[in-house]
Amino acid sequence: MERLPSEDWVQNPHRVSSCGRLISFLCKHASATNDSEISELIFSILSFKREDSAFLKAADGEAVISRARTAHVDIVKCKCALHVQKRVTTPCILVTKRSKKAQGFKYSLLTLSSSNQLEPCFEFKLPYQLTGDVSIFNGPTVLWTHAGYVYYTSLQAGEVKQIPMQLSHSISGELPLHRGQIFILGLQNLSETSTSDQSTSQTLGYLVQNGQVFDGAVVLPYPYITITHCILVLSAEEVDGVLKAAVVAATSKQQLIYIEHGIVKDVCHLPFVQPEDIQVVDTGRSGCLFVISFHEGHVCAVWKEKFQVASHWSGVSSVHVDDFMGYGTDQMLLIFKDPDVESSSLGSFLLTDLCGISYSVRDPLLPAPNTSPVLPDNYFLTIQALESRLQSGLTVLQELQRELRVKERVLQQSLQALTDVVSEREPIITQHEQVSLSILTEVGQSSVPTVIQTQSQVFWLPMTSPSSSSSSSSFPASSFTEPPAKRSKQHNAGRNHDLNTCRLAVTAVTRLTPLLNSGCVKCHVMLHYVQRQDAFALMSSPTPAVLHCGQVALDIQSGFQTQLLNEVKEDLMSLLVMLEHWTFRIDSPDHSLGDIDSWIQNRVGCKRVEVSPEYLLLNSSGPSALMLLCWHQINPFQGELSVHSSELQMLQFLDSLLAYLPISCTVQPVKGTRGQDEVQIFSLALEKEVVSLRESVSLLLCKEEDNRRKSNDKTSEPGSVDSLQRCREEWHRDVERSKTELSPLVDVQRYRKLSQSLSKVQLEGDLAALLYTQ
Amino acid sequence: MAHKLYKPVSLLDTWIQENNNLVNKWKQQEGGMNTWNQDQSNLKCLSSEFHKLLMKIQGVPLLADHAQLELTVMYNACVYSVALSQFSEAELLFAQATERVLQMRGEKPVTSDPPVFWRKIMKSLKDTDLNASIHWLLCLQWAVWLATCRLKMILELQEELSSALDLLCTEVCDDRRRKGKSPDTPLLVLDPRRLVELLRVCTLIAHGAEKLSEGESSEALNDLQNASSLPAPRTLVAYTHLLSGSCFAHMSHPQMALQCYRKALETDCHCVSALYQSMLVYRQLRNTPAEIQALRLLHSALMLPSATEPVIAGTHLLSQSLLLCSQSLSSFLSVPSALSVLHSLALKCVLHGRVSEGVEHYLDLLAVLHSEDQHQVSSKAPHLPRLPELYLEAGAALLMVQRPDDCITLCEEVINTTQDLLPERVVLEEPEQKGEAINGDVCAEHEDKVEMLLWSGAAYLLQGHCHTHLKDWKQAMTHYTRCMNLLMKVRFKKIGCQPQILSADMVDEQGTDLCVLQRLKGLSLCGRGICFIQTDQLREALRDLQLSLQAFPECVGAGLWCGEVLWRLGRRQEAAACWEKTWSFTTQSTAENIRLYLQEPQTGPLLDSIELRQKIQELVPT
Repeated sequence: MERLPSEDWVQNPHRVSSCGRLISFLCKHASATNDSEISELIFSILSFKREDSAFLKAADGEAVISRARTAHVDIVKCKCALHVQKRVTTPCILVTKRSKKAQGFKYSLLTLSSSNQLEPCFEFKLPYQLTGDVSIFNGPTVLWTHAGYVYYTSLQAGEVKQIPMQLSHSISGELPLHRGQIFILGLQNLSETSTSDQSTSQTLGYLVQNGQVFDGAVVLPYPYITITHCILVLSAEEVDGVLKAAVVAATSKQQLIYIEHGIVKDVCHLPFVQPEDIQVVDTGRSGCLFVISFHEGHVCAVWKEKFQVASHWSGVSSVHVDDFMGYGTDQMLLIFKDPDVESSSLGSFLLTDLCGISYSVRDPLLPAPNTSPVLPDNYFLTIQALESRLQSGLTVLQELQRELRVKERVLQQSLQALTDVVSEREPIITQHEQVSLSILTEVGQSSVPTVIQTQSQVFWLPMTSPSSSSSSSSFPASSFTEPPAKRSKQHNAGRNHDLNTCRLAVTAVTRLTPLLNSGCVKCHVMLHYVQRQDAFALMSSPTPAVLHCGQVALDIQSGFQTQLLNEVKEDLMSLLVMLEHWTFRIDSPDHSLGDIDSWIQNRVGCKRVEVSPEYLLLNSSGPSALMLLCWHQINPFQGELSVHSSELQMLQFLDSLLAYLPISCTVQPVKGTRGQDEVQIFSLALEKEVVSLRESVSLLLCKEEDNRRKSNDKTSEPGSVDSLQRCREEWHRDVERSKTELSPLVDVQRYRKLSQSLSKVQLEGDLAALLYTQ
Repeated sequence: MAHKLYKPVSLLDTWIQENNNLVNKWKQQEGGMNTWNQDQSNLKCLSSEFHKLLMKIQGVPLLADHAQLELTVMYNACVYSVALSQFSEAELLFAQATERVLQMRGEKPVTSDPPVFWRKIMKSLKDTDLNASIHWLLCLQWAVWLATCRLKMILELQEELSSALDLLCTEVCDDRRRKGKSPDTPLLVLDPRRLVELLRVCTLIAHGAEKLSEGESSEALNDLQNASSLPAPRTLVAYTHLLSGSCFAHMSHPQMALQCYRKALETDCHCVSALYQSMLVYRQLRNTPAEIQALRLLHSALMLPSATEPVIAGTHLLSQSLLLCSQSLSSFLSVPSALSVLHSLALKCVLHGRVSEGVEHYLDLLAVLHSEDQHQVSSKAPHLPRLPELYLEAGAALLMVQRPDDCITLCEEVINTTQDLLPERVVLEEPEQKGEAINGDVCAEHEDKVEMLLWSGAAYLLQGHCHTHLKDWKQAMTHYTRCMNLLMKVRFKKIGCQPQILSADMVDEQGTDLCVLQRLKGLSLCGRGICFIQTDQLREALRDLQLSLQAFPECVGAGLWCGEVLWRLGRRQEAAACWEKTWSFTTQSTAENIRLYLQEPQTGPLLDSIELRQKIQELVPT
């Protein structure tokens, strides 16, 4: 149980505690006669007397180790270990004998029997000297490392055995399984591969008794093995063949770590470096302590439960844990270093469990200043430890109080629920949940599906007309009433042999009204293509084929030509009309919004619309990504954002905006969700009214031939600059004409028809307005 | 025994899990409505848990794939350290972290000079995946520097800090999105972008305040104008306007200053210092109605319960009050107590013709003082005059609104409280310097005695005025005489000379005890003289009035009444000369500097100057 503190203290007696008694061993060289020298091992057994507050000698004895004059006898280590044959725990003493004549070192392990007799257990010879790193485990087994290998010997083994693998950084310990299993943990010496890979297979565990190899990471995770100085397994069990262990380990990083099933559960900073040994003190009701002894006589005690340093001491010669008082719980005995030491008595010591029991004795012969600074300091630390325990108790109490409050609340709620049930009322708690749920479902129904629908229709395009694809070439192109603009395109496709002819082109024709009003237009799709069958066919002019693919719903927003925006204000207007529109009020009561405008501008693909600088055009990624934004800052804490885009896009944009905005801010649509449909209907009705008025009036004024020409012109490509220009000219001409004919004659029939249709349209408009205002 | 091979959970994963659990725990608590104490204990609890986790992580040698996690946990732990004002602990952690990172990269540890050391770290990690993480830590260091008023460090590392700013502000969107998705990314307890935004504004404000207090207003204004457009908590936006206003006031643009103060108040109604500062500007502009209005608003703002309470601090981990603690800033933000504001308001009202309003304020003030413990008040409001003085001022105001009975009661109170403490004899020493006498630190006890005596005297004087007002000449004379008797106990002593009787030419400074003494003497003599006139004891009257003019030559009442007595005695030429002389004084020019109760009474028998002039006119031709 005790380690060699340092080379300077070899003179000190080796001590070990057993059955509440303290046993100290000392080697003595006495010259019996002139030519022979007897090397004796002297031991004395001390037990604590409460009435005297001192350790008094209970028994002593001696054994002759060697009578050879040249032999040099020394104690290597002593520790209590289980004697397997006798089934008792006995103090074991490892003694080295080195004769000057013979080569090598001779070691013998002695045990102290219950009748206080020293008995030799086994002996072994080594060609080298055992240095500090020797352990005595149950068996008794002696285990040590030498030159990268681990060796052991025991009564059962009968000889010195070598662990069959080379390990760097080996750590040995005992598993408290059954009778105790000695294990060795180490890093496999894999010098060439996978040093960066921290896989678990690197850490190996080896059981000495049966030579089994297991994954060492279940005891100690990988990076710790290189820095762990000593280890203590608290518990170990096998669950489904997997070892589960709880371990404390002291590392070179001045930490004590608690590991359970290979996971670091707790950690505690240690006040000293170079830990050498960990022991457990079971103080009974007050819990367990870990006592860690360090190099150069430092000792530190850590509470197991709180995992905090309870107290620490310096100048300690050895630490023993046993029930010295006979109370049934453990105490620790700290024996302090004394300059002059007699083997039979203890100089100064402290016997304590840090919770009530504390005996300390100072040698009266010792000069006071040597020890006096130590003990008051220790008392102070003890008080500190007690104080910290008190604090932890307080936090536990607070937690309990909190729990109590929660319980009370639950009770109250249950009571409320009960009274509700009794009085046949609806419970209040569930109502809240219902409301939130309904909001969720409603939103889901109204918004998302439209987007998905459009997308899926496009996606299913080849499936809708599978029958016609096979008979594509035979399909007569003339069966469709094609607009002139399209026909010209088809001609081009036939004539040119450049890359464009091979490219898939989709041209769609639709009426202007749906184009302006909704994002979704249904139209016929026809595929024009040139078949490239072989080399011959290429030489002769290939016959273009036209394939009708059926109807398709198109999201026309993507097709709109945005380059127009910077030239004419009307284009911006029509874009504004075409895109869906939302206005949000952004309100951040505690935090100013900052420069939102420049944030929008810094987004990819954003530019300002020249004709109307308050609008920002966002044309970033993918198709149908056109977006018009208008930010109006009301004050530093409020602003209004107008978004013209598809719904999905708007949501995406809002999402990224929210990440930028302060957490506490709220975004609310300015108009309620209710108005959206009605607004659209109303605007449609108004538009229809205007269009029909214009059309019918100009029809009324026009002559027949004009009319016919116009119907032809109308079907030009809607998006292009030319056609737009033409439309404007047309309209201008109409206006001019109405000016020249001051009082034109009008056909009564046509006028009646006009007024009839107009009144019908106006009626619809009124209805829509009524809906809107309600 | 068979031990199957099984794969234990990797340390990295468990630690990330632990970190994320802690962050989520905090986020949940943050949303709740907790009291300040609960928040503090939550903070402490989480802080220790983060530090423990950090300890675990730092318990093993730093591996490359642990570095990201370690820096994240370090950031989280440091955020709590800073939030709990444990700045040195945080800085120690920075040093540890950077040392470990450098060790991992096989570089030597650097010097302890912070700017050098941060520069080296930033350079070393510039193109690695730890670049962002180390910037987070730099931001925390920035916070520590700001909180400990080390602006120089911030200026020195300005380049690195602004690069951190750019990095954190631009990366955040994509970063957040990515992080939200994968569970194995360690979470942050405080968005670094929010932190860096707050730091930027706070630094500009702190720097601005520093410059302003050094007198470099235009430079400060620049900083503050920059700060005002940045995203910031409401309070801070108000601070930027407030300080901008102070800059303008300093650059003598009072109207611009007022504009800024208004903005500050509009932004944050809790920013009462803006009201106070605008009041000061109005005072400087001699715009008394506006000043009174501002005082009234300031007082009612200070009486709001929310004004004195700190703004909800627990909701954010790092509050601005933690980061802004410089002396120069708090001097701009400080506001006098509600009581002293109320006193100023009352005094202003009385002095500027709103006497009845002023009286109401005085009565309010006295009521508050009565309901509270007097010791508490004096410690709470250092600028407030002492209680007897307030009583006297209130009394004088009451007399002005023709409530002599109330005035007498208040004066009685003063006389009763001081009665037992009055000295038998007191020597008034010539003040060596101007400031010393006002401070009164030299010999407080002696000063106290003199004060006591003067208060008591003033109380008798006011009572005399009251009885004069009530035309009870006999009572009035008694009180004036009592006042004079008290004043006789004071002997004046010049340094190195024997105590002597005072003469008027020794009084050269207003506000000193000596001046007060002389005024009291003059006024009480004048009062008694007037009483003598009313009882037709003209000789006695003449004597008193002449003595009064000796003690206090500027006393208008004494001059006019002296002339009147002379006139009645038939010494008309003398009378005319006396009147002419009195009119030649620039009257009431220094009214504001004189205590309210020492001003000449506006009530009681008065002489009409026009009539007197007519008398002189009649006299001249004859």
